Amino acid sequence: MELSAIIEAISSWAASEPRIYALIIGLIGAAVISGVINIVAMYVVWLERKVLGDIQARYGPNRVGSRWGILQLVADAIKLFTKEDSIPRDADKPIYVWAPIVASMTTMLVAAALPFGAVNIGGKEYPLVVANMDLSALYVEAALSVMTISVFMAGFSSNNKYSLMGAFRGMARMIAYEVPMGVCVISVAIMAHSLNLVEIVQSQTLWYAFAQPLGFIVFTVALITDLGRIPFDQSEAEEEIIAGYTTEYGGIRWGLLYFQEYICMFLGSIMLVLLFLGGWNGPNIPFLTPIAPMIWFFMKVLIVLVFLIWTRGSLLRYRIDQVTDLGWKWMLPLSIVNLAWAVVVGLYFA
Amino acid sequence: MGISDVIPIPAVVDDELEKWTIYGRPLSDVWFTTTEKIHQIIEMGPIKNVLNWGRKNSLWFLMQPMGCCGVEMLVFGCPHYDCDRFGIIPRSTPRQADVMIISGYVTRKYLPAIKNLWEQMLEPKWCLAIGECAISGGPFFDSYNIIQNTGDYFPIDVFVPGCPPRPEQFIKGFVELQEKIKQRKDTRGY
Amino acid sequence: MPSASDILSALQSAFPGSIQESRVESDSRLWVTVDQKKLLEIAKFLRDKQGFDHYSGSAGVDRMADNLMEVVEIMASYANHNIVVMIKVKTPRDAPSVPSLVPLFWNANWYERESWEMFGINFEGHPELYPLLLGDDLVGAWPWRKDFKGYPDTTTGKRTVERVDASGLTSYRIGLTDEQVDSGQIPQRIEYPTFREREEAHIESESEMILHLGPQHAIVPGPFLLDVLVDGERIKKAFLDVGYIHKGIEKIMENRTYLQGIVYTDRMCYLASISNNEAYCGAVERLLGVTPPERAQYIRVIAAELSRIQSHLLGTGEFLTLLGSATYSPFQYMIIDREDVISLLESITGARITHTFVRFGGVRNDLPDGFAEQARKVMKMVREKTMEYKDLIAADPIYRKRMDGIGVISPQDARDLGLCGPPLRASDTPYDMRREDPILAYPDLDFKVISRKEGDSAARVDVRLDEILESVYIIEQCLDQIPEGPVQEKLPKKIKPEPGEAYYRTEDPRGEMGFYVVSDGSDKPYRVKVRGPFYATFQTFTPLLEGVYLADVVAIAGSMDACTSEVDR
Repeated sequence: MELSAIIEAISSWAASEPRIYALIIGLIGAAVISGVINIVAMYVVWLERKVLGDIQARYGPNRVGSRWGILQLVADAIKLFTKEDSIPRDADKPIYVWAPIVASMTTMLVAAALPFGAVNIGGKEYPLVVANMDLSALYVEAALSVMTISVFMAGFSSNNKYSLMGAFRGMARMIAYEVPMGVCVISVAIMAHSLNLVEIVQSQTLWYAFAQPLGFIVFTVALITDLGRIPFDQSEAEEEIIAGYTTEYGGIRWGLLYFQEYICMFLGSIMLVLLFLGGWNGPNIPFLTPIAPMIWFFMKVLIVLVFLIWTRGSLLRYRIDQVTDLGWKWMLPLSIVNLAWAVVVGLYFA
Repeated sequence: MGISDVIPIPAVVDDELEKWTIYGRPLSDVWFTTTEKIHQIIEMGPIKNVLNWGRKNSLWFLMQPMGCCGVEMLVFGCPHYDCDRFGIIPRSTPRQADVMIISGYVTRKYLPAIKNLWEQMLEPKWCLAIGECAISGGPFFDSYNIIQNTGDYFPIDVFVPGCPPRPEQFIKGFVELQEKIKQRKDTRGY
Repeated sequence: MPSASDILSALQSAFPGSIQESRVESDSRLWVTVDQKKLLEIAKFLRDKQGFDHYSGSAGVDRMADNLMEVVEIMASYANHNIVVMIKVKTPRDAPSVPSLVPLFWNANWYERESWEMFGINFEGHPELYPLLLGDDLVGAWPWRKDFKGYPDTTTGKRTVERVDASGLTSYRIGLTDEQVDSGQIPQRIEYPTFREREEAHIESESEMILHLGPQHAIVPGPFLLDVLVDGERIKKAFLDVGYIHKGIEKIMENRTYLQGIVYTDRMCYLASISNNEAYCGAVERLLGVTPPERAQYIRVIAAELSRIQSHLLGTGEFLTLLGSATYSPFQYMIIDREDVISLLESITGARITHTFVRFGGVRNDLPDGFAEQARKVMKMVREKTMEYKDLIAADPIYRKRMDGIGVISPQDARDLGLCGPPLRASDTPYDMRREDPILAYPDLDFKVISRKEGDSAARVDVRLDEILESVYIIEQCLDQIPEGPVQEKLPKKIKPEPGEAYYRTEDPRGEMGFYVVSDGSDKPYRVKVRGPFYATFQTFTPLLEGVYLADVVAIAGSMDACTSEVDR
């Protein structure tokens, strides 16, 4: 039996029993994703340490796991997850305990709706997505903002002045940038005539980074802000407020928050690739036709990741009032201009 | 930590749970165990080797420059010496640090603060005394304001002599500590 | 331009009978002993009429044999002339009390607090006579008096009593015995509000809180406590608590021979060891009446300028990490350059940061073979790289946004606050000890004193980077001009200067470093007073940080290039 025939059979069954099919795929996907994504996060951290090392004329980790230090993050994870568990005496315990869990749940929620590339079987592309919703772009955007809540939970419950400061800064910053980010997503949706991420990718014969460059820039800046990376890492500015909202967290709880940040970075890069850089679209690669979309997709994601790391190695940090200034006075108007542009162009081509 | 700390459940249920036992031990002891207890359980087994491997390759130290050695500590993290090769990186909050470097003179005024930092660090944790001042008071041994032997106040694993020690000696000190952890001879290891 | 004797005659005619003793050491040094009742008036006269607008510090001296306490006030001028006047006041030892100069010079505050806690000299009219360097347990013991019992402390066991309270926290009782702690008798020598009480008195509403930046914090290069009273992100008031690494170097140096003292000057500010060596040795040389041979002078200049380069590189780099994070790459590049400079210094002195290189009447050893070529190579590299850094920060929009117009100090304010070094020169005041005091080979060398008009944080960093270029230029000149000859004057093995006193200033990377050494004719100095540059700059944090954003604390405090060890000594 041909592979395409099997897929054909599965699809027809899926069409007849959509609920059971969704349940099965959902369960399998959730299991795979929650396992894989943590490992990916570890390797994003590893990538960051190596690339930063390279930028700074250092080696970076190279003692465990061959000369590339590929097991460094395994060692870190073992250490973090076997450290003493501590809750500050005066902390708000339930919230303190739940903050890292909410954070990792959020990342899982986001991951569920994001297509992780596609496979090309028999000339037809099958996107690898756990929950292919009609509104997935909006849903991902909304789920990402739940992160703010976990940051605030962590900062508020620690009963620590630095944490509180970090939480407030995080809130102020994320509110300022969540709006332009949402507007950019809408502009993309207008041009693609769909809020479904898979359809957005499929509609990108011309990358939206070129079709709406303004939106691309605003979205990238807002994304870096959302991820809390330099130059927008005021919520954990080491030199001002120790470690920001994670000051009182240590061991496994901090480990969750830490990895969650990098999972977010990975998912954020995927989001950027899907919305603006043509997702898995790319010329066919001979002999590797089935996984060619995957190769293109992850190559783009990797480039975005390295770009994010590069900014960290070479930029300074804004002050919090300058960040909110930039957000409300520049990013929001620009995103609205972009929205207008998208409406005009979208209507014209439609 | 009991379950009621995590999820607010009626006290009656909590009381009921208190009565349950597993293998003759209270349920809360076995079920809601902390990582500390897990450590105790696996203390003797070969899995300890795996844990120690992880710990020795991920020694994050508390960024706390104190004296002359503090400058060398800074350089120790930079190119030419690059502590990141060994998985050693500086952290600025004691909650996330594993190693405290006492890099200079501990004075009467600073001792309570530094002790507080040490107590805020999570187990397992280690302490390095770097430089003569941290070991014995160094050139300031007879000062009225110096706490002479930090060894009397902190369980120090490795002493690194020098005034100040070169960054290479910092690396050497950390490598000694790694060896000690591997051989389970460190003072604080579970 | 007036000379020291002109100032003396002006003083004598203005205050007949109040000038008890006087000595004109040179054209630029005047020593006078004045009646303590007239001190304020004389200081006011000097400030307003004679142009002594720079209060440079004060030192207490315990003259136990005469049953007297002395306070030496050091006054100089920023721009009017290069005379330093040392005003001495004598006061009975059993109830020492002199008028405070705080009403005239804002920056007298810390110097007088230090003299009070160390000698028990009361300063009448001082607004806040609280301990500065000492912990609360030692206040009242007056540790720098000659009859202080606690020094030398040669006990080898634990010096504290440890008690664990019910919540598991350890508390320490220092300087007490077990019995005293158990019986609950904790002797309180002097009543005063503690630091915590003083700062908490400023909290006015619920929305304000005190944020502690230190003693362990990423912003501090050594332990000090910078408490800021914040309302949201805005700072209402800043408080400083120092002395976390107070080692009592001045006391220790009184109990070591002159030669042994050099070792302690190294460890006072480990980024400027050579300048500290230089200042101490220069003061002792003045007491001995020797001048180092010419070659040694050039070698000292080379070493001092190398030391300045490495300190500025580290200072600038560290500052950039405060604005960004430790992952900011240019910081790492600066450390790479600094390592080359350090290797050069190491090849001369044999140590990376604590050199102990300068000797009385010369230097320890000559330059190594092939030094000149190596030095020229490294200097060329440092110059190129520094130009690159200047371009980098000039073009970085985030840097400009964070730094331009932040922490502006006007020239007048800078003088009133008693700043020195790069922060002062950034405020349009070209005041440099290398110019003021003709020491070593500096008069033969061509260099300009860098200054900037803006007076903001960016200007302070610019001054440092430009000074690196200037130092490179000085070193290249030295390499060209250095004469052959001996590097060490013949001196007896055991150094015993005649009784007397000397004050010597050098330009430290952080500013004006002065050593005041008193000799009583024995082989140990009777009193050594360090006038540290950062001590003067450090005081100014409190007024400068008022009303700024929390994030600007790093931009302002970092641009001062802190060295805690030298403040605490």
